[in-house]
Amino acid sequence: MESVPVKNTSKKSRVFGALLASAAMLLPSAKNALADAAPEQAVVSMKYLNYHDSQTGDTDLTAGMSKDRMTVNALSFMGMVPIAGKWSIAATFIEDSVTGASPAYHGWGFPSDEKKDTTSSASGDLRHAGDLNVTRYFSRGTLTLGTSYSQETDYISRGVSMNGTLSTENKNTTFSLGAAYNSDTIDLGKPNVVKSKQIDTPGRKRVASGLFGVTQVMSQNDIMQLTMTFTHGDGYYTDPYKAPDWRPGHRNMFTFMSRWNHHFDGPNGTAHLSYRFYTDTFGIKSHTFDAEYVQPLAHGWEITPNLRYYSQCAADFYVPTGNDPLVATPTTGMDFYSEDQRLSAFGAFSYGVKVRKELGRSWTADVKYEHSEQRYNWGINGKGDPGIPTFNMSAIQVGLSRKI
Amino acid sequence: MVKKLVVKIWPLFATIIMYGLSGCSSVQPWEKQNLAKPEMTFEGDRLDTGYTEHIYSSKEASSGGAGIGGGGCGCN
Repeated sequence: MESVPVKNTSKKSRVFGALLASAAMLLPSAKNALADAAPEQAVVSMKYLNYHDSQTGDTDLTAGMSKDRMTVNALSFMGMVPIAGKWSIAATFIEDSVTGASPAYHGWGFPSDEKKDTTSSASGDLRHAGDLNVTRYFSRGTLTLGTSYSQETDYISRGVSMNGTLSTENKNTTFSLGAAYNSDTIDLGKPNVVKSKQIDTPGRKRVASGLFGVTQVMSQNDIMQLTMTFTHGDGYYTDPYKAPDWRPGHRNMFTFMSRWNHHFDGPNGTAHLSYRFYTDTFGIKSHTFDAEYVQPLAHGWEITPNLRYYSQCAADFYVPTGNDPLVATPTTGMDFYSEDQRLSAFGAFSYGVKVRKELGRSWTADVKYEHSEQRYNWGINGKGDPGIPTFNMSAIQVGLSRKI
Repeated sequence: MVKKLVVKIWPLFATIIMYGLSGCSSVQPWEKQNLAKPEMTFEGDRLDTGYTEHIYSSKEASSGGAGIGGGGCGCN
């Protein structure tokens, strides 16, 4: 390679250059702006979650359809260790305990209904899940290999993934590319599976996903990210615990997500804005808007309020309630059908706040509360089903983290 | 369906890629102190994100968007 001759420079410019270099060296974490530098410290974290949801029949049509549904208590752990400045290993583990039942299918499970909600017998169900990710850091990119495993009494999921990033020389643009594969097994021989769906052979579901994304530094205070994901799934998507539910055996999903972070110099706060568009071959289309604002305060405190709005249209095979939501809707002659309220059209508003406190140089503690409410007439795409009661959920998280 | 969507969305990606590659974004390394703050990354609190995404994906018909990988669940 041809050497570049050293130009004669004035003393002034040499001093200026040295000052710039010194300034850059004083900002070693600046290289983390696009998160492609190896972490310098290990981190261990734990977090507890208490979640509860309920349905409230607060219209003439849904009067009497009120019920507490599900409570979840979960504990999760995360550890991340940097190795030799070029590698990191991160692992998470979660155990959650579920009591109660998933949201009602029309009138299923309500006291005035004679139909039996078989998921109520899932009381005390435990789920254990974990994942392991190994990341190699290069001068202009990363490569991460991951594996995951999740087990419930009736469901096992195994997954592998590979994600890579590549930055331009100035590190203002980063491209992301990823692929993942999951193989799931559903036990259909359980006594609480609907009789007509009980078979000894387990149900299978295989899901392959791909991701392409671009992260772009827009200014000294702005960074933007666009991400597309494609998912193709084949296998058992039907709910085995509810009779009025028979779904297609394949599902293609597509998401487009845009995220924008902006730093405000005055209050030293940061706004996170995001929008997600989702569509799939079930006929679902949804829009999700998220906004949160991180405000550091004195003495190591930090407060983060957040707002979220979500709207979805109904699946093509969703069966709406009739004049009486407690009476079954006929599905004769239909290839696919579902009374699952999660496949109906609705809109949801969420709000929450997270408070975080630094405890010395190494420890941080945080508490977060979030509440969400779904209503059939809050959506912006698709006509809602007035026979579906309002769905409420709230969650509290308490966490502790330590850098080592 | 996906082809039509990609055709519609691709100009957005092309615009941001061109913006980056054309040098319009001329932020220098020593100007990135704000971008380097943990709250300016898109990663966030991993356990918090895990809980929150799991809650919403089990109560809504949509899921994913920010990344891929991780375990499936019988809840949705």
